[in-house]
Amino acid sequence: MKILFSGGCKNGKSTLAEDCAVALSRSGGGLYYIATMIPHDDEDELRIKRHLHNRAGKGFTTLEQGVNLPDCVTKENAKGSFLLDSVTALLTNEMYHDGIYEPAAPDKVVKDLLDFAAKVENAVFVSDFIYADADRYNEFTEEYREGLARCDKALAEICDTVAEVCTGCITLYKGELPL
Amino acid sequence: MHFVIGGAWQGKLDYAKKAFDLKEEDIFRCTAEAEPDFSRPCLTHYEQYVLYCIRKGTQDYYNIPENCKVIIADDIFCGVVPIDEEIRLWREESGRALTAAAEKAETVTRVFCGLPKRLK
Repeated sequence: MKILFSGGCKNGKSTLAEDCAVALSRSGGGLYYIATMIPHDDEDELRIKRHLHNRAGKGFTTLEQGVNLPDCVTKENAKGSFLLDSVTALLTNEMYHDGIYEPAAPDKVVKDLLDFAAKVENAVFVSDFIYADADRYNEFTEEYREGLARCDKALAEICDTVAEVCTGCITLYKGELPL
Repeated sequence: MHFVIGGAWQGKLDYAKKAFDLKEEDIFRCTAEAEPDFSRPCLTHYEQYVLYCIRKGTQDYYNIPENCKVIIADDIFCGVVPIDEEIRLWREESGRALTAAAEKAETVTRVFCGLPKRLK
């Protein structure tokens, strides 16, 4: 089963996604958290600490995979349940590598996400809804927003369940939750 | 009239084309620079028409023509309050104008990650 969650920041997406991944892992095969964030400052470190604290005791094995997502899948873990939190961070890492802007990153990430989803038994994806601003940003940011929308749409198409999370409340656009 | 709303790049136009059987020539893409072609049954980027009217000093966006079958708009009112005064005004007017459009509409659909959800 594949699930996509999107919505505003700090609205409960990660907690819900973790609970779904845990529920999916009951069928066996292991439970994996794909850590995508490459910390750049104290704020990132704090964010990671908070996520680690929230996940503690839920039984996740952490896989560090900031780029090239399908590389984290092996013969041993492919039958497991994976939580990718977040698509947003993955695209950032691929698009702004060592200060170099990579315009082809969205196409690569769409391909990586679909390859990854096809390889694993269960996956929960977390993305961010960043599409409702009146202001226009610089061209890099606009291309990033458009690129993330492409990732989201590609995932929404192949996922069994798609839901928006707003202040902890869930709106289902497709399928059911495994809870 | 059918109203389709959603964030940028969510697949609103693709959805509307399929759902309401629209052809390319049925669709007019509004801009902040020119009067729309109201003879077309579908106006997309209606929020840009709101900006065009603000610049002209009118509120014509409240008068939706009879022959208009589908209105599509970007939701631009959930993000950060913009610093620029015109964009700030536009953001608020879009909220009012699109709420009024949705009120007149027979159906309201929000498109999220390419997936439609009927709100009305």
